[in-house]
This record gives sequence, C-alpha cells and structure tokens, in this order.
Amino acid sequence: MKKKKKLHAVYAIPNLILLLFSITCIFPAIWLIYSSLKEKAEFYHSPIALPENPSIQHYISILTDSELLKWLFNSFRTSLLALLFILLFGFTIGYFLSRYRFRGRNALYAYFLIGMLIPVHALMVPMYVMFSRLGLNDQWFTLILPYTALSLPIAVFLVESYVKSVPHEIEEAAAIDGSSRLRTIYTIVMPMCRPILITIGIIQFFYIWNEFTFSLILIDSQELMTIPVGLTLFKGQFSTDYPRMMTAMVLAILPTMIIYFIFSKQIIKGMVAGAVKG
Amino acid sequence: MGYLKMKKGSMLLCLLPGIIWYSFIILVPVILAGYYGFFDWSGGINKTFIGIQNYIDVLKDSVFILSLKNNLFLVVVCLIGQLGLAFLFAFMLNSRHVRLKGLHRTMSYFPAVLSAVVVGFIWSFIYDYNYGFINAFLKLIGQGDKAQAWLSNEKIVMALVAIPLVWQYIGYYMIIIMSAMSSVDPQIFEMAEIDGASGWKKAVYITLPLIKNTLIVCVTLCIAGNMKIFDLIYSLTGGGPGNSTSVMAMYAYKSSFLSYKMGYGSAMSIVILVISLVVVGGSQLLMRHFTKEDEG
Repeated sequence: MKKKKKLHAVYAIPNLILLLFSITCIFPAIWLIYSSLKEKAEFYHSPIALPENPSIQHYISILTDSELLKWLFNSFRTSLLALLFILLFGFTIGYFLSRYRFRGRNALYAYFLIGMLIPVHALMVPMYVMFSRLGLNDQWFTLILPYTALSLPIAVFLVESYVKSVPHEIEEAAAIDGSSRLRTIYTIVMPMCRPILITIGIIQFFYIWNEFTFSLILIDSQELMTIPVGLTLFKGQFSTDYPRMMTAMVLAILPTMIIYFIFSKQIIKGMVAGAVKG
Repeated sequence: MGYLKMKKGSMLLCLLPGIIWYSFIILVPVILAGYYGFFDWSGGINKTFIGIQNYIDVLKDSVFILSLKNNLFLVVVCLIGQLGLAFLFAFMLNSRHVRLKGLHRTMSYFPAVLSAVVVGFIWSFIYDYNYGFINAFLKLIGQGDKAQAWLSNEKIVMALVAIPLVWQYIGYYMIIIMSAMSSVDPQIFEMAEIDGASGWKKAVYITLPLIKNTLIVCVTLCIAGNMKIFDLIYSLTGGGPGNSTSVMAMYAYKSSFLSYKMGYGSAMSIVILVISLVVVGGSQLLMRHFTKEDEG
C-alpha cells in the first residue's frame, strides 16, 4: 500500500511539470484576450487582473475605424492565391520527378533542395531591386510571387514521395480506357494525392499568414499590407494604448487560433511530416 | 510503364512554369546579390565598382561580427533549451502515467503557429517596464524593487530575447521527437524495464540512440532557423539597445533599407548565405561523424 502511494507521488512530478508548461504556452494568448476587454486606465492600474467591466469597445473601434480589417483581407487573399499556385506547380513538378527518370531529373531535384537551404534574407536586397525595376513591388499580387516560389521545394518533395505510394497500374488502366496523359494526371492522380495536398496547404498557410520579411520590404502602401507588417505599423501609432494594441493582436491571431484549435490534430501531423521529410 | 510514355515537349511544358517562377525568385536574386556586392551603391542610378571591398568590409565590420555572435549564441541556447526540454517533455509525455496527453500536445504546439511578430509583441508587453507582466507580478508578490526595464539591460537582453524563442518552439520539437518515439517498438522498453533500467537510463541509453536520425533533423532545423532569425528580433527589440541584440539578418536589413547601402547589404547577404551553409553543413558532417563512431 505504502509503496503504491509513493509511486503516485513520483508520477505527480512529470504531470505537474507538463501541466505548468502547457499553461505557459497558452497563457500569453489568454492574457492578450482578457486584457483586450479592459479600459486603458484599468489595464495601467493592474496589468494582470481580470477585467472588472469587460467591454468590446476596442474591437468595435478597430474594426470600424482602422485598416486592420483590410490587412486581414490582404493576408487571406495572398494566402489563398499563393496556395493555389503552390499546389498546382508543386504537384506537377513533384509528380514528374517521382514518375519519370528523365535526363536532368536529379539535377532538378537538387535544384529544389538547394532552395530550402538558402536563407531568405540573402534574397532581400536583390529582390527589392528587381521588383522595383520591373514595377512588381507594391501591387496586390506582389507577395504571391515570393511566397509561391519559397513554398515550392517542400511541396515538391512531399508530393514526390507521396506519388511513389500511388500505384501506377491505375494510370495504365486509365490510359487503356482512353484517358490522355494530362487528363489522368490532373483528374485521377491529383485527387488521389489529396491527403498530402491538404498537408502542404496547412503548412504553407501558416507560413504565408505569418511571413514578415518580404511583406516588410516589398509592400509600401498601407492598404496593401498583410497583417504582420500592419501590426508593426499599428504598434507605432498606438504605442501608449496597450489594450488597443492587444486587441489588434487578438484579431491578428484569431484566424490562426480558430483553424488551429479545430484542426489541431491534422495540423500537428502535417507539420511534423513536413518538417521531417523536408 | 509503356502506357505512361509522354512526349518530352509536353512534359517540359508542364514543368516549365513552376521552374521559371522558382528560378526568378530564388536563383536570379542570389546571382544579383553577388553582383551588386561588388559596387558602392545607394540604390540610385550611380554604381561604383569597388571589387571585393564590400566583402572585406563586412568581415571586418564589428557590428556584423557582433550580430554573428548573437546568432551563434541563439543557436547554442536553442539547441540546449529547445531540443533539451523538448526531449525531456516528450519522454515524460510518452510515459503511461501522464494524463491529459492530447491536451498537452495541443497546448504546447500552439505557440509554434503564432507569427513571430505577434510573439515578439507579446513578450515586449511581458518585459515592459511600466505595465509589463513581470514587473506587475513582482509588485504583486512584494518584490517591486526588483522591477526593471528588462529589455534595456544590455547585460541580460540576449538571454531575454532567447526565452521567447525557446518558448515558441519547444512544443514543435517535442511533437517531432514524440512521433519518432512512438515508432519505436514498445517491447524494447518493456524488456529494458524487466532488466531494471530506470527512467533516466532508459531515456539516455535506449530512446536517444533509437531516435538519432530524427534528432539530427531537429538539430539541423534548429541551427538553420536561428541563423536566419529576424522577425522576432524586429518586433521585440529592433536590435537594440544599441546593437546589442542585432542579428545578421537584422543588420543586413538596416544597412540596406535604413542606411541605403545596397551594395554593402548585398555583399552581406552573400556572406550570410555562405556562413549559414557552412554552419549547417559543418554541423551535418560533425553529427554524421559522431553517429558513425557510435555504430562502429
């Protein structure tokens, strides 16, 4: 009896440590959320206490009288369009790399591999110069260009290894039934790759939603900014109004939070697969 | 495979758009950066060719050296803090005596999906002098005299910058390590337990070697991630006070876009590229070397 009790006490320690760690992971977001419901004076009086009279006035004023909604929209539009291209090109290149042993195949594979090793900040200056020379900077579509290209390597590799598990007999059968090669690839094989395409979509959505450097360099006008850069602008303007700033941050992370907590299992699985294979 | 035959031309047509797009964004800028690096250039029409002077200057630039040191500091801290704690937590979470496993997984991964800018701002509120969480907490427990302007203290500011960084990605590595652990045959652990291996021995002598390959991936990701860190520094300290928390990417950004030294910034980009490749590649070789010795 005694021994059993002692054992339980031992197991309480890892349970406690993990619980504490989990709380610290989520607490800053909770602090943001309840602080955003406070008045400025109340927050300055006690930054930690829960709000006495929770009010959503900051939310109303930010959503009606600031660019934040616009920035959120820009982030969504950029993410969705970039994802479309990433999935289309990533699937196409990944498929051919996986199915065919053409000349230059290994070189092409290595070419995409190298892209993953290049730190994005090495591209900062020349990309800025190139984009401004060609008039590509500060447009609504500007950020789709780097985000698509930088996401391609991981998409290509994940598709390449996934297609190996798709039996090619299916494609042969389709060919016998008279389906053209391209039709088979895009209407039969591509839907079969849905799990990996979803994984790629999830990983790259978070990357694009959070991306900061290129957005900072390539976009100048306020109405075209994405949410991370918009937030830095917002902080400059409202540096003394903490609850207002915190409200903006809550709104910025809300879409990711909702998506994350609904799909956390798939997201975690997908990200791990992406990290390990990539 | 006969049915899968395809004309070379049409295959090329499928591949080309993606390849061109990718080359335009990745390859062309790298070549251009190397080229611009040879010029004294502020972004305007006039460029003066100065040979490799920019490259030499970058390597002699004391702020650049400091930034590189800060990058390496973060690499070391994160290797120990992130991977060390991640392994520890993953090991604990794998034990059958731990409850709420799903909850821990979901919670601990959450910071990894936040943008680094938001994380930087959150922690700047936590460290804030007047209304920050830490100082408010110190006052609450009667230690108000210990309150200070945390991020202005040059002696500890790098450590303070490292904390949110470590915090944000422990869960990420923990999940990766856990997925590797779960693919290990549980019978191995049972046998070790029968042989009397304690928790720690099990962790060090059995689990660690079995998930070696995953750990190598984690180390590589961790090094590469910290060599290119930028967003968090930008939003948390902006590289300050002074240049004390500057990192390579931050300094390249400031030189190019705030001081308009485009040629110099380009040269720095190339130096960063080379240093990152050397550090990542070197660590790979080192790890392969050591893990091979283990086997032999």
